[in-house]
Amino acid sequence: MQPEKFYYDNKIVRNFGIATIVWGIIGMTVGLLVAMQLFKPGMNMGNQYTTFGRIRPLHTNAVIFAFVGNAIFMGVYYSLQRLLKARMFSDALSKIHFWGWQLIIVAAAITLPLGFTTSHEYAELEWPIDIAITLIWVVFGINMFGTIIKRRERHLYVAIWFYIATFVTIAVLHIVNSFELPISALKSYYLYAGVQDALVQWWYGHNAVAFFLTTPYLGMMYYFLPKMANRPVYSYKLSILHFWALIFIYIWAGPHHLLYTTLPGWAQSLGIVFSIMLIAPSWGGMINGLLTLRGAWDKVRDDVVLKFMVVGLTAYGMATFEGPMLSLKQVNAIGHFTDWIVAHVHVGALGWNGFLTFAILYWLIPRIYRTQLYSKKLASFHFWIGTLGILFYAVPMYWAGFTQGLMLKEFTPEGILKYPTFLETTLRIIPMHVMRAVGGGLYLLGVIAMAYNLAKTMAIGKLVAQEPAEAMPLEKVFVAHNEGDNFWHRVLERRPIQLMVLSLLVILIGSIIELIPTMTISSNVPTIASVKPYTPLELQGRDIYIREGCVNCHSQTVRPFRSETERYGEYSKAGEFVYDHPFLWGSKRTGPDLQREGGKYSNAWHYNHMLDPRLMSPGSIMPNYDWLINQKLDTTTTAAKINAMRTLGVPYANGYEKLANTELDKQAQGIADNLAKDKIKVQCDREIVALIAYLQRLGTDIKVTKTANNN
Amino acid sequence: MKKILTAFLLITALGTAPAMAADDSLIPVDMMNYIGYGVIMLMLILFVITMLVLLRTFKILTRLLMGAEAKNAAAEVEAEVIPAQPKNSLVNKLLSLRPMAEEESLLTEHDFDGIKELNNPTPAWFMGLFYITIVFAVGYLLVYHVFGVGQLQYEEYQTEMSIANKEKEAFLAKSANRVDENTVTLSSDGAVLQSGAAVFKTYCAACHGEHGQGIVGPNLTDEYWLHGGKINDLFKTIKYGVQAKGMPNWEKQLTPKQIADVANYIKSIYGTHPAGAKEPQGDEYKEAATSTANTASL
Repeated sequence: MQPEKFYYDNKIVRNFGIATIVWGIIGMTVGLLVAMQLFKPGMNMGNQYTTFGRIRPLHTNAVIFAFVGNAIFMGVYYSLQRLLKARMFSDALSKIHFWGWQLIIVAAAITLPLGFTTSHEYAELEWPIDIAITLIWVVFGINMFGTIIKRRERHLYVAIWFYIATFVTIAVLHIVNSFELPISALKSYYLYAGVQDALVQWWYGHNAVAFFLTTPYLGMMYYFLPKMANRPVYSYKLSILHFWALIFIYIWAGPHHLLYTTLPGWAQSLGIVFSIMLIAPSWGGMINGLLTLRGAWDKVRDDVVLKFMVVGLTAYGMATFEGPMLSLKQVNAIGHFTDWIVAHVHVGALGWNGFLTFAILYWLIPRIYRTQLYSKKLASFHFWIGTLGILFYAVPMYWAGFTQGLMLKEFTPEGILKYPTFLETTLRIIPMHVMRAVGGGLYLLGVIAMAYNLAKTMAIGKLVAQEPAEAMPLEKVFVAHNEGDNFWHRVLERRPIQLMVLSLLVILIGSIIELIPTMTISSNVPTIASVKPYTPLELQGRDIYIREGCVNCHSQTVRPFRSETERYGEYSKAGEFVYDHPFLWGSKRTGPDLQREGGKYSNAWHYNHMLDPRLMSPGSIMPNYDWLINQKLDTTTTAAKINAMRTLGVPYANGYEKLANTELDKQAQGIADNLAKDKIKVQCDREIVALIAYLQRLGTDIKVTKTANNN
Repeated sequence: MKKILTAFLLITALGTAPAMAADDSLIPVDMMNYIGYGVIMLMLILFVITMLVLLRTFKILTRLLMGAEAKNAAAEVEAEVIPAQPKNSLVNKLLSLRPMAEEESLLTEHDFDGIKELNNPTPAWFMGLFYITIVFAVGYLLVYHVFGVGQLQYEEYQTEMSIANKEKEAFLAKSANRVDENTVTLSSDGAVLQSGAAVFKTYCAACHGEHGQGIVGPNLTDEYWLHGGKINDLFKTIKYGVQAKGMPNWEKQLTPKQIADVANYIKSIYGTHPAGAKEPQGDEYKEAATSTANTASL
């Protein structure tokens, strides 16, 4: 048999590489902008399109799906071809994949600032874009499996197991978390409500971290690290063990994002124990990487690429130990909703994803351009300033998290809250937010230096778009040559479809056991008779709340703690959320919880507070929402919204959609009249009126308060 | 060096203290912020300097130690490692590291684009860690869901509240703080009014105006009251709020003494006629037996 000649496609790798750099800089710049808004709200530049609630999702989407996403495709397209000794299955599919993905990112960058959002974290994009993502993901899958099928290497290397698991799991997660009922071209409601919606979202959210930020990067680590260090992978056994353990256990851990909420206790406990069991499988990747460097540590001293890898792996190890600790409910009680979580995710994002990406870029670009890196000094500068950036980012944020978490829980001996106004605790940590922006700025500076360095490298070299290679074709029938070839896992490694099906089954176990009972067994969500659907005006107000991204800073779930029931009121009940499509519990309290906001303040208070929060709360870092006062509420959608909600099971009477706008006007007029008593003149058809109606409704269905009148 | 370190730790401790410091701290909050800010800056800068010094030291040390003999030395080190093995066999067992010289024998026949794989055993400490977490997980589920020993969140809440209530009762029993809407008395004591003025500025001024002239909330300086103008009525309105009119209840945010103080402060600004006063709301109320009677009772 003759060796076959073929060419690796380096152009697609280069394209994804450039996209990684460009979107990385954009995403991190937006990150810096939102960071600055947290100590200087005026940094929103006075307009709605660049205000925190709308561009914080832009930052997270840009760094996760644009920066990391393109980096994954760059790494996969480079390593997959070489590990399988085959060109990518179809150049046309590669191109569609590349341009399709960039178009999706552009669509996100346009729709998010305009306020089109589903409000599910890391899944904010509206339904047409969700469909586009599904299609492009399928294109990627066909291209990958096509290449696997025409491979010239019998067995699949560990990197490819991780790529396969990534592909199937992301597909499942994305589809299940995108079950939406469209009401217009860019607006939809989730099929699930309240507790169920929350569980689906965090099953998705947690595993987006697992299968988008972790498994593909582990796969890339397994290819690029041995290449960079020129060392054999430390342990094949460990690879097998930690791969299967990781994907099986990770999928269960989602509920740890919902501790002390109204999620059933059994689901919370499953989330906790599987998070703890996740420590070792996560560390398996780290130690297999670090021990691969055994005997090559002298290279680490000289080689900036390996330095990036070592810090990246260490950051991964720290974040995957910290995560399980934060899942323990006693730790979670303090850390959740604070900056601690922000510090935690950024150690992972900046350290693990960022540094691995930089290492791969520095290693790969000179190779496909057949040249040397333009400046090693500049790369070294990038490493140091990047590391410093992470420290300057993480240390103040941990500090801020502890400080605020403890302050919010502190009582005086008289038995009242030591810091009864939330704002006091916010003001205390503002210096930490300044420091964090400095850290982020340093990190961004490093990335810009890298972009310059790599652009120069590309300029001095010439892209080898078609890299020649040759390999023997596979024989029709496999004959085992070695004893090791009969090992059960080795058998699986030469059967890609079985491997894919098996990994799909492994990730479905945890998903089904957690999701199905919560969806179907009614005792998990006890209903409350006094909880009624939103009025049309409140429903419109709720959609404004979603559009403005209020959920990015305000939670809507009171946990059963003394410090929270004293501060906010009665703790949340599962039955209160049954008409909430989507749920709006939030994951971070930059401002106070709003679950019991209804009736706490007067309409006039809310009006003034939205006009300029500092009028009512001096020193507040909430931006002005003055545009709500000028913008007219769009009531043409009311009927469609009522109909959609009815389809989803909200008990609006048949035909109610025809009366809805009349009712809406009546309620709006009432609020405008009430505001007029306080000498506030506002037309009743403005958005602010709807938002006030919604805020005043929040949590009142079961609210029992003592007042001077009924006391 | 040790001294510097201790001093440093002390400063750090001070920096964290604000969160836990007592109410009547001498240092104002703003100041504490700046101290915390400075300490972090200082720490990070010091960290950078230390790292740079260490880096420099290592570089010089390597040059001195490894110079020309670098290659020989490396070979010697490897040769030395093997006989040293039995000395700390437990550590070695836990690490499960095979000597580098044995590496050849551990190679599998796998070769992916030039990448080889070793067949090293999974480290014993790693397997131990994995098994411990599994045991923990099973134990956790048993404790919370089978034996019912551990408290889940709602029981935990009840426990927390009952402990808090007991502590609160115990504290209030021995302090003079125990005042309510029935026992509150009118006072013109300077300290009371000063404390009341401070509370007013922080919590009330946003709605009732800095001088009580009324903005969103009603004017508090005239003789018209929506919910009664007696000191006891004021106390009650502040404590429980008036939900329908947007007056929050303050019993969870202010101590009984603070409520009494601010009620007295409000009584003290009666008739001050501040600029921009809101028009009267509610019913007229005149203090029956004005301050003289009360001063006498004090």
